[in-house]
Amino acid sequence: MPLISSKGYLLRELLDPRAGSRRCQMANEPAGSCHNSSGVLAPGPNLAIFLHMNPKFLGYAQPEALVDGDWLQQNLSVPGVRIVESNEDVLLYDTGHIPGAVHIDWRGDLQDNTVRDYVAPEGFAEVCNKNGITPDTTVIFYGDKSNWWSCYALWAFRLFGHSKVKILDGGRDKWKADNRPLTREKPGYPRASYPVPPRRFDKKIRAFFDQTLAHAHARKPLIDVRSPREYTGELTHMPEYPQEGVLRGGHVPGARNVPWKIAANEDATFKPADELAKIYTQGLGLKPGDDIIAYCRIGERSSHTWFVLTYLLGYSNIRNYDGSWTEWGNRVRSPIAKGEQPG
Amino acid sequence: MATYPPNLSKIVDFFDALSGDEKRENLIAYADSAPACSPKAGERFDLEDVRKDEECTDTVGVFLRVDSATRAAHFRITLGPHVQTLTKAMTAILCKGLDGATPEQIMEVEQDFVPRIVGGQLVRVRSQTVYYILTRIRGVCRVWLDRERAAATSG
Repeated sequence: MPLISSKGYLLRELLDPRAGSRRCQMANEPAGSCHNSSGVLAPGPNLAIFLHMNPKFLGYAQPEALVDGDWLQQNLSVPGVRIVESNEDVLLYDTGHIPGAVHIDWRGDLQDNTVRDYVAPEGFAEVCNKNGITPDTTVIFYGDKSNWWSCYALWAFRLFGHSKVKILDGGRDKWKADNRPLTREKPGYPRASYPVPPRRFDKKIRAFFDQTLAHAHARKPLIDVRSPREYTGELTHMPEYPQEGVLRGGHVPGARNVPWKIAANEDATFKPADELAKIYTQGLGLKPGDDIIAYCRIGERSSHTWFVLTYLLGYSNIRNYDGSWTEWGNRVRSPIAKGEQPG
Repeated sequence: MATYPPNLSKIVDFFDALSGDEKRENLIAYADSAPACSPKAGERFDLEDVRKDEECTDTVGVFLRVDSATRAAHFRITLGPHVQTLTKAMTAILCKGLDGATPEQIMEVEQDFVPRIVGGQLVRVRSQTVYYILTRIRGVCRVWLDRERAAATSG
């Protein structure tokens, strides 16, 4: 299998069933090379999953966390890959989706509908089983709204320890704008046997109310990714959205306002690494290893920011407060700051 | 159980009998037909209300014509490209379901038919715009009735 495509894309090996744990080829190493678990450079496999490297991606901390439309369109049927659409518009998948893509609904599939929480590990395993996803499957997420919900679904997969995850840069909007194929044909995949994860890894990437309150008291980095008028308290709903049941407007004291949208281009793709670094690293003064929490209204827009900080800028200690403003703004005795200043 | 205008009642009864997957398929079919609800060339209306509200994703236009002899209301609706699929479906359903009803009957339509058509699985906070189109239709009917009353008083 060629490692340099006809378009000159650099193809990177993702896994090799013969070599156990490997890490990806680095940009300055020969194409097709891989390290085995001992760090020894080994030749590439005959059967592997590859992805091309869009030049923009090379600037990101984890370039392999993204694919672009060119690559995906040429690799719709790569074994070991499952394309997952996750949208805010609950019927959008049914109107046409990327060929071979399955639909995972952020509420129906990933959330517990009796407790405000995510499904238990058994529920996650069932979602994977019915979509033919195994722990070795590389899941490529895409969706509407500049990938809010696909980032949210990716984050939820990470809660259960599934780390082979990627985002289609630009999501559904760019795929459609580029006139790439959509189909209404729903694929069927053999049922998988995903082992029930031993637990949900909430501690690492998820923050709860009490933790966020302690975070605010400690004046640690706290990012409110909502729109400016939601942050100041002028609006109790997102612009262009219905009221979602919040009693008070404002923000968590100490939170800095960096709307998620600043990280995205108009075509829904992510901004280049240098621009993201200006926004977050220089703009907020974030340092490697900082303990960071991001929030919005229900955790979907902050999943986008979580993805940017984690995968594109390489921050290792960021959590998404998914209770977000619909919890904080309604909670009895939770402190609120109003206006443009963090407070 | 609430009574609806006859055309709407037929649609509600039809959806009531469907499974979840069948509801989705039929909602998509209705959503596909939403562009046909737009005004046709040469059509004239008694009222036109085109605007983008802050809580809605995109512009929605509601056009009303009421037959002076029968008081039967006829609607046309335009949708911006960013409205959700459920909203598109509800637009086509309401254009068909409320066609021929009087403005008074439309004002009395209770919105409890929406979950019966859409199904509980698809009704969620961020899909509340399925109610939005009905609200806008009622709003236009209210204005039409107010104007009719004002004309009767002044006349």
